Amino acid sequence: MTRLTRRTFLKIAVGGAAVVGGPGAPRAQAKTFKIGAVHPVTGPLAEPGQACRLGAQMAVEAVNAAGGIKGKGGLKLELLVGDTQTKPENGRVEAERVVNQGAQMLLGSFDSGSTNAMVSVAQQKRVPFLIDIAAADPITANVAKSVKEGQQKVQYVYRNFPTASSFGRKAVQYFTEIFAEAKVTPKRVVLMYCNDLFGQSQSRGFLAAYKVAKPAWTLLEDDVIAWPEPPSDLSTEVSKAKALKPDVISPITRPASAQLLLPEIRKQRLDILGIIGPGSPGFYEAGQIAVLKDDVEYAMVSNPWANFKNPRTNQVADEYKKRSHGKTFDTNSGYSYDAILVIADVLERATNLDDADAIVDALKTTNYTGGLMQYAGPIHFNELGDNPNAVTTMTQILGQKAVAVWPREAALQKFVFPRPRA
Amino acid sequence: MAVGLTLIFGVMRVVNFAHGDMMVWGMYLAFVLSTRAGIDPYVSFVVCAAALFVLGVAVQRGLVDRILAAPHEMQILLMLGVALVLENTALLAFGPEPARVRSPLARLTWDVGPLYVDVARLVTFGLAIVLTLALSLFLFHTERGRLIRAAADNPYGAMVIGTDVRRVYATAFGIGAACVGAAGALVSPILPFQPPTGLSLSVTSFNIVIIGGMGSLLGAFIGGLLVSVAESLGAVFLRPSLKELFSFSLLILILLLRPAGLFGRRAS
Repeated sequence: MTRLTRRTFLKIAVGGAAVVGGPGAPRAQAKTFKIGAVHPVTGPLAEPGQACRLGAQMAVEAVNAAGGIKGKGGLKLELLVGDTQTKPENGRVEAERVVNQGAQMLLGSFDSGSTNAMVSVAQQKRVPFLIDIAAADPITANVAKSVKEGQQKVQYVYRNFPTASSFGRKAVQYFTEIFAEAKVTPKRVVLMYCNDLFGQSQSRGFLAAYKVAKPAWTLLEDDVIAWPEPPSDLSTEVSKAKALKPDVISPITRPASAQLLLPEIRKQRLDILGIIGPGSPGFYEAGQIAVLKDDVEYAMVSNPWANFKNPRTNQVADEYKKRSHGKTFDTNSGYSYDAILVIADVLERATNLDDADAIVDALKTTNYTGGLMQYAGPIHFNELGDNPNAVTTMTQILGQKAVAVWPREAALQKFVFPRPRA
Repeated sequence: MAVGLTLIFGVMRVVNFAHGDMMVWGMYLAFVLSTRAGIDPYVSFVVCAAALFVLGVAVQRGLVDRILAAPHEMQILLMLGVALVLENTALLAFGPEPARVRSPLARLTWDVGPLYVDVARLVTFGLAIVLTLALSLFLFHTERGRLIRAAADNPYGAMVIGTDVRRVYATAFGIGAACVGAAGALVSPILPFQPPTGLSLSVTSFNIVIIGGMGSLLGAFIGGLLVSVAESLGAVFLRPSLKELFSFSLLILILLLRPAGLFGRRAS
């Protein structure tokens, strides 16, 4: 009997693997429309980035299950996913990678830094790019300006998300309406924010909108408190806020800083009417509420929010909850989901999917009403490439659940303000 | 937190770039023990320290021991690799959401006149003093501690008198990791954490250890106090967003005026 040596064994194993794993009879691969979805799936923004990816993935599955792009022979969608690792420069690297792999459209990317980096790839390689989340105004405005001035021929970048300036305007509007409805006029609203790009642009937008609106309530414009993000301690910042004798604390947080700020406000026993944020994550996510518990009860925040009056939103939210192990279908998952629905609508109407400019023409004429988020009207794109109907909703934590409370047409429950004293 | 880092550097001359990520694992262990077994982190820190001791010994025996004689850049690359593995394993195991351990102690505050005292921070501070003292007693008043110091001062000499230097190194690395495991559990009710938190914790630890003096336990303790007081004063007298300017300015000052740190020994 021949002894099986290690060398013989390896020869057999490699040969066998080649036979089993090698290409068999050529199989016809169904053609798909590839969308490059780039988000921060690892790094500090992994939580929202993963929510965006799952939202987009679920929407692709829903579109395909419903027969794909019917006007194009049932063409199916396919996601080519990319990860920025929460590093802005990787937006460009990952966008290039997915385009080289065949992506015909781009989607992304949650934070304004990496989204901006993706813009140059979209414009240079002529790949239509629908921004699902990123608020900084210049992202689309700069491209629109260069097209207007003739430096570039076509704008390939469009956004279905509120801009930072619209966040500010809506927040000031909702603050004013809620205070009027509650018949209180706070004289000392203290703005506190995380001092990163997001926090800075949000606070600037809020302050600018306040200056323009000149409301009856008073924001302490000269006593704005910022902290380095991520913070390791916010006790000094809250002490400073307490010394200002605030009526309302208006924070712009990230999830981790919200977990420091809200318990600190309770510990230092701030005697305030309420906590109302002009727009930031950290208050409404299921995981955050589970950790913060009563510290976040009655806190309000003006955010892009899902339209839970729409039965389809509730169906998708239930499925999302199952697939994400109990998370809420919210800003991030919701806007990424809607972006895919908008892309599907655009592909239905585009005259030629192999021509990027034909897809852009379809984007420009979008008038879509099937979105699951709260909009002020149909999704369409203005001269800057932004959807002016992408608006925020005031949500409040009531009974340990985030609920839409303002404006009236979006509200599922009446807000509680001033908050009950402990 | 910084005591563990300074111990590892003092004994092996290896800068543990995975220090912050080990601390994050201490935090997650406290989180699991709290949510699954209902054990308060102010009790479970002992278990976390023991678990991190085992991890530290394994990392030292399996990896660090092989590159002790290698150039510093090789050591840095290895420890950065360990940090990446620890961070991404935490991401896979616990997900990306920020977490915080709930403890009844963390909800308590005492009013002392116009001041308020955060009980959780006070307890953590007290336990940090106790643990540093215990480590100091161990190093200076036990046989094993003397062996560690001997191996740190002169590994060749220690070997000549029959010390198992490899074993001493493994113990020292394990103790360093245990310190950071305990620290992680103790701050887990105060500081929210997520897998990438390790990097900022490592940077803070390096800042503290450089200010206090690399390899000095007392230096790490005093450095920690100096950094936190500097940041708090910076937040009060400057703007809160500039508070890190104070602690890093302190670092630059120390590097300029006393490069070995406040309690560090000059390299011969």
